[in-house]
Amino acid sequence: MKVLVAVKRVVDYNVKVRAKADGSDVDLNNVKMAINPFCEIAVEEAVRLKEAGTATEVVAVSIGDKACQEQIRTALALGADRGIQVETEGAVEPLVVAKLLKGVVEKEEPQLVILGKQSIDGDNNQTGQMLGALAGMPQGTFASEVVIDGDKVNVTREVDGGLQTVALNLPAIVTTDLRLNEPRYASLPNIMKAKKKPLDVFSPADLGVDVTTHLTQVSVEPPAERQAGIKVEDVDQLLDKLKNEAKVI
Amino acid sequence: MAQLDSEILAALKDIVGEERVLTDPESLQYYGRDWTRFYEPAPSAVVLPGTIEEVQALVRLAASSSLAIVPSGGRTGLSAGAVAVNGELVMALDRMNNIGDFDPVDRTVRCGPGVVTEQLQQFAEQQGLYYPVDFASAGSSQIGGNIATNAGGIKVIRHGMTRDWVAGLKLVTGTGELLDLNRGLIKNNAGYDLRHLVIGAEGTLGVVVEATMRLDRPPRDLAVMVLGVPDMTAIMRVLAAFQGEIELSAFEFFSELALQKVVAHQALQRPFETITEYYALLEFEQPDAAAMERAMALFAHCVEQGWVYDGTVSQSVAQAENLWRLREDISETITPWTPYKNDISTTISRVPEFLAEVEAVVNENYPDFEIIWFGHIGDGNVHLNILKPESLDIDAFREQCGEVSRWVFEIVQRHGGSVSAEHGVGLLKKAYLHYSRDPAEIGIMKQIKLAFDPHGIMNPGKIFDL
Repeated sequence: MKVLVAVKRVVDYNVKVRAKADGSDVDLNNVKMAINPFCEIAVEEAVRLKEAGTATEVVAVSIGDKACQEQIRTALALGADRGIQVETEGAVEPLVVAKLLKGVVEKEEPQLVILGKQSIDGDNNQTGQMLGALAGMPQGTFASEVVIDGDKVNVTREVDGGLQTVALNLPAIVTTDLRLNEPRYASLPNIMKAKKKPLDVFSPADLGVDVTTHLTQVSVEPPAERQAGIKVEDVDQLLDKLKNEAKVI
Repeated sequence: MAQLDSEILAALKDIVGEERVLTDPESLQYYGRDWTRFYEPAPSAVVLPGTIEEVQALVRLAASSSLAIVPSGGRTGLSAGAVAVNGELVMALDRMNNIGDFDPVDRTVRCGPGVVTEQLQQFAEQQGLYYPVDFASAGSSQIGGNIATNAGGIKVIRHGMTRDWVAGLKLVTGTGELLDLNRGLIKNNAGYDLRHLVIGAEGTLGVVVEATMRLDRPPRDLAVMVLGVPDMTAIMRVLAAFQGEIELSAFEFFSELALQKVVAHQALQRPFETITEYYALLEFEQPDAAAMERAMALFAHCVEQGWVYDGTVSQSVAQAENLWRLREDISETITPWTPYKNDISTTISRVPEFLAEVEAVVNENYPDFEIIWFGHIGDGNVHLNILKPESLDIDAFREQCGEVSRWVFEIVQRHGGSVSAEHGVGLLKKAYLHYSRDPAEIGIMKQIKLAFDPHGIMNPGKIFDL
């Protein structure tokens, strides 16, 4: 069974992001970049399937400029067998990403596609679902457990109020939630081996996809700064402030 | 030394105000000791001055009435330097926590002694700069205490100790005189640099009432590498190989036993499957791809030489933090075993031999003792920890550890090392000072003490007895 995983290069989630002074975008100058945490979980799941003997090949795909090859190499160091970069410039919207991934799916014909449920930069949570619709494949989103069962995959989903398990016919799409697994560290010997693993580069044209964007980012603003708290003298003062200043009672 | 009577108490209240003098049992317990837990605190009172003038008035009062003073910061010390066991007056500097007068050209900032280390780190960050002295207790320890103990920590290999970041300081001596030492100058060869005598003096020369601290540029994209290493000699080879080509900001080590405990108790992942005797943790900047290339080539070289069996490197900030936790959480993890701890150093090259000798003597005499090694090996500083076997009661364990201390310090002496690498002497190591300082040296220390503090009221009984 061939597994395709998608990885995205995003701002490291521990970095405090800043808006550019003109409010046009997030300032990415000299900012630490990393693999999207949900994508990392997707890679880990695919590698575990391979280690269990269920998957025979894991292919990692990323969409972006040359820098995203770094994240593909990370996926290869974690255990993916080869990489694919679809080279694009500037931001691509979820629909375009889904169309490009559909192109890769048609080329590679994987039995299972594992994606993060969302990327922490755009927070769109759309790509997996759109890919399901475009490719005509069943989808199991927000997975906390993935079990291959013959020509089916059972996906346990974290839903409001509990867990839901769905059975999907393969080929299928799974998007990962946080509790699916805990990704491993990439070992140094594997990082070195990853440099020699094959990495193919395609253009959107190779996949027959038009990357014209339909979304315009209007502005990016930092959240309002929090005011410092105060200490009140007694209960009466607290009530007075709640009534007359905060106006919550 | 005199005890506190009602007259002195009234005079204290006159200086700092009624509510700034504490004598209730809870406050005496709380302010009367640091993180060392072997001493019963017994101060007579706690005062909380708010200004330099108040500190001067308090010291003058203490000098005229022969009352001993224990200056007190965040009280996170581990050598009982800030413990009051003899009815001393504890002077807690918590209220003197102003931070300001930042100068972007000099890259300095003025701090009250009560500024918490983390507060200074955050202040620096807000200015786009960096305060590089960092250790586990940075959230509670204070700058005054850091100066008094010359605090070190995890970045010493690159950034040095607290001493290297004090551009100037103000000291109230044991006579109440205010000294303004060095005034932020970089070059000042006009006579003795008294500032450096005060740093690390553990409050025995006076009270640090203000410090001008230097700040640095922030590091660029720190990578953390953990390497599995077969023995101590190999660790030293790895250190030499990396230091030859990369500026390391940390080089720490810990043993397999330490790793096992941390992984089990903190629910952390092992860095890799391979099990080795020791692990080295390296941190360095990776401003560009070439930096990581160099580190990878060094790793490959170390593997070829047989010095390293396996390794990993952080791919994100979160991974870097988790790898650091493998080292930083050791101390907290082993606390339930009420460990015997010792903080010692030798020159870097002698560490392997030193460790082997300590292990041999402990194993021979107490074969059921579990030894946990970790520390700042890149500075020649190791933390020896011995876990209490469950079968042994605490008093018997302490007694046996007293014996261990003597052996350890004899080995330290033979290697020309220090009985206290970064925790200071305080009360805890007073009896062992002679293992790393000769009588002539200690004699001069005493004369220096008397020059600053002729009445012997500043933290008496710490480091040495007059």
